Amino acid sequence: MATDIRAESAPSSLTLRSGNQMVAEGALRAGCRFFSGYPITPASEIYREMTVRLQARGDVALGAPDEISALCYCIGASQRGAKAMTATSGPGWALMIEAFQYALMTETPVVVVLVQRLGPSTGGATQGAQGDVLLAEFATSGGYTVPVFAPSTPVECFTLTMEAFSWSEALRTPVVVLSDKEVAMTYEAVDLARLPEVPVHARPMASAEGYRPVRFGALDEVPPFAPLAGSLKVTLTGSAHNKDGWLRKNDAETLDVLRHLEAKVDARARDMAMVTRDLQEDADALVVSYGITSRAAREAVRLGRAAGRRLSFLGLLTLFPIPVEAIREAARTVRRVVVAEENLSGLYRKVLGGALPDLEWHGVNTLGRMIRPAEILEAL
Amino acid sequence: MTTGPDRQSFLGDRPVPYCKGCGHGLVARRLGEALVRLGLDASQIVLTSDIGCVGLVDPLFPTLHTVHTIHGRSTAVAAGAVLADTVLGEGRMKNIVMIGDGGATIGLLHLTQAALMNVDLTVLLHNNMLYGMTGGQHSALTPEGFATSTTPQGNWVPALDMEQLLRGCQAGFFARQLATDAELADVIASAIAFPGFALVEILELCTGFGVPLNHMDGKALRALAEADGRQLGTRIHRNDRRPYHEVYRERFPAPSGRPEATRGDGSPARVFAHRLQRPATVVVAGSAGERVQTAAAILCQAAILSRLHCVQKNDYPVTVGSGFSLSEVKLAPEPILYTGADAPDAVLITSADGLREVRGRGDLNRLGPGGVVIADESLASELSGDGVLTLPLRRALSPDTAALGAVAILNQRNGMLEREALLAAIGVLAGDGRAALERAVETAVSLAGQAAADPAEEGGR
Ligand SMILES: Cc1ncc(C[n+]2csc(CCOP(=O)(O)OP(=O)(O)O)c2C)c(N)n1
Ligand SMILES: [Mg+2]
Repeated sequence: MATDIRAESAPSSLTLRSGNQMVAEGALRAGCRFFSGYPITPASEIYREMTVRLQARGDVALGAPDEISALCYCIGASQRGAKAMTATSGPGWALMIEAFQYALMTETPVVVVLVQRLGPSTGGATQGAQGDVLLAEFATSGGYTVPVFAPSTPVECFTLTMEAFSWSEALRTPVVVLSDKEVAMTYEAVDLARLPEVPVHARPMASAEGYRPVRFGALDEVPPFAPLAGSLKVTLTGSAHNKDGWLRKNDAETLDVLRHLEAKVDARARDMAMVTRDLQEDADALVVSYGITSRAAREAVRLGRAAGRRLSFLGLLTLFPIPVEAIREAARTVRRVVVAEENLSGLYRKVLGGALPDLEWHGVNTLGRMIRPAEILEAL
Repeated sequence: MTTGPDRQSFLGDRPVPYCKGCGHGLVARRLGEALVRLGLDASQIVLTSDIGCVGLVDPLFPTLHTVHTIHGRSTAVAAGAVLADTVLGEGRMKNIVMIGDGGATIGLLHLTQAALMNVDLTVLLHNNMLYGMTGGQHSALTPEGFATSTTPQGNWVPALDMEQLLRGCQAGFFARQLATDAELADVIASAIAFPGFALVEILELCTGFGVPLNHMDGKALRALAEADGRQLGTRIHRNDRRPYHEVYRERFPAPSGRPEATRGDGSPARVFAHRLQRPATVVVAGSAGERVQTAAAILCQAAILSRLHCVQKNDYPVTVGSGFSLSEVKLAPEPILYTGADAPDAVLITSADGLREVRGRGDLNRLGPGGVVIADESLASELSGDGVLTLPLRRALSPDTAALGAVAILNQRNGMLEREALLAAIGVLAGDGRAALERAVETAVSLAGQAAADPAEEGGR
């Protein structure tokens, strides 16, 4: 959450930075060398920032003629071995979904930053929303788990973009950074000289020995990567394929490749679980939230405690895989769990209810505006 | 990497999966010959195939890198790989896109963009004039009069002419050939050797649908093309454009180990005192182009120099150069969790555009206890009530500095920050316009002094 800037920072290194700018900062720190974008509010600032900064380094930034091209360019670049990213909002994400599935199927690492705005359709370009959470996660036919990370501050935009690259590379799977207009376009003081250290991971690389295009033993192993135009023959396809990368119908090995796509993510769910905890012993209610709303939720808990309530807060930085254990642990003593999110029907609450059916779930939801701390406190 | 059992053609020993007489198999064979003729190493060749019958080609080339993509997107995936290879890598890659007329239809934008940019790749457009794999439906490249399963009486829409389209894209290489042409391998070799975007359109007759529906055989293909006004042969070959990666590298050379300049080096700077006990929310509103957001940023920067926390949000209509411009600023001694500006402590308005926006948002009705409004004198007749102060902001300062002036006046009245903090913030943020902004602060402070001495101005009229 918001760090206490006075504690450690000299004012000269504190600079106003938006969430979008810090996404770019994180991408560059993670080693991103290829960006392609298409303009759309509230994500355009990432496009601009990445363009200026990558070009200054002699790396590739590419304006695309549409979002499909943007993601396909990134996929091609990643298949050649470059860390690649694109950024968009709901309407552009809708166009990217087929190519996104292709990245998942071909085990091509790529980071997509999805900055939510009010939908459906064109919706409201400058109005905030958290309405794409399930559209991001369930974008693949078959419901394969897509890691989705949701920042709530500029610094979290930095760290979670770095995490997104690390997981995308380590697992060879596309990852979504799910931002929202209020996080993306709000400027806050950031200490650029003292950003958190986040380990950078690279994809496992293949060697000639025992090489197969899709090589794994246990289903959850990540196949070592061979780049296009390298010495090991690459065989990639979006069709269901065997371990040689060749299109096959439902033979056992081909179905194993599909199971493997899920298993490699699922096996690391616990390591991917990132949360912010502010728990109270014997709390009788817990609020779970993410993105911009998690900040209002934490404020609500602060206000409630000042008024004598026993309340716990759990902010989710990882939305998928669902950090089930962290939620169960935080909810241990409570009667009710309130999920606060800025969409009409409580989208994420619906999946939480399915994952943890024994808890008593309540929702605080708004449409077209931020949720206020008082509204959350009332529901707790 | 070995180059496979048959160094003559790169083609393996797998049976060709195509119908008897289908041109796709012929193209594969000619491609293999062209690759041998060029003396390329298998490891540098990437075959990027599209969806459709055309996309069954990959296993025929067991030693080449093969990337089977999604419908129509092959060119874009290939372009990304080529740019990564040529700008970030060794630039050895030869990428050959195998696409059908259906793929070219749905993915036309990727083709034109690659041609416009002059990405160094080769497209072999297998034009059998219909969607073969899905049952012979018509595409945008189906000629007028040609029967398909969805135009059984003959197509009545003219076919897209790739030559004209690519001329419009300033493409460097375009050839149109029949799949049966003896020179096809040579033409493909020229296309691959061409430094930039090259497309070979290969006319074929689909034996599954085109032949039976049109009662014609392959021999009729040349006549069909000519009747449709399509000329065969290498139609475009120009060398006056450089491939995209060369232009890009020249414009954006990789820096020689020069570290990137970062703002803020962590060194100590002067810290100012503040008198803020609880969070304060300020809304600044005015007209586009009058540096409203700069004024808000200076207030934030001054807060940072005073070791306060701050957030700033900007809003403006889609037409950035007209209408309102508005910023919300929240300052607090503690970290700011909730960033909403539900009950502003001050609303600063420098123009009618700003007032209209503030009214629309309801800021004036939501003013917090003890809230103040500081507005330009031109708005005096529209604003009244306790806590409203109207001043000649635009007249005494300038339209450009009125917002900053209003910020300085607010600060002078509530004393939350030192005036020097504002001036120091200007020093951090402003470049050339620094002197004018500093002057504006001084002028505004004296305006505020006069207003305090003459309370009649307070409360509006
Ligand atoms: C997005 C999408 N739409 C539709 C299809 C179905 N589809 C599969 S093959 C094909 C036709 C391809 O035709 P063409 O590109 O001309 O290749 P051909 O089969 O004639 O070689 C279509 C439309 C698909 N795979 N993906
Ligand atoms: Mg076709």
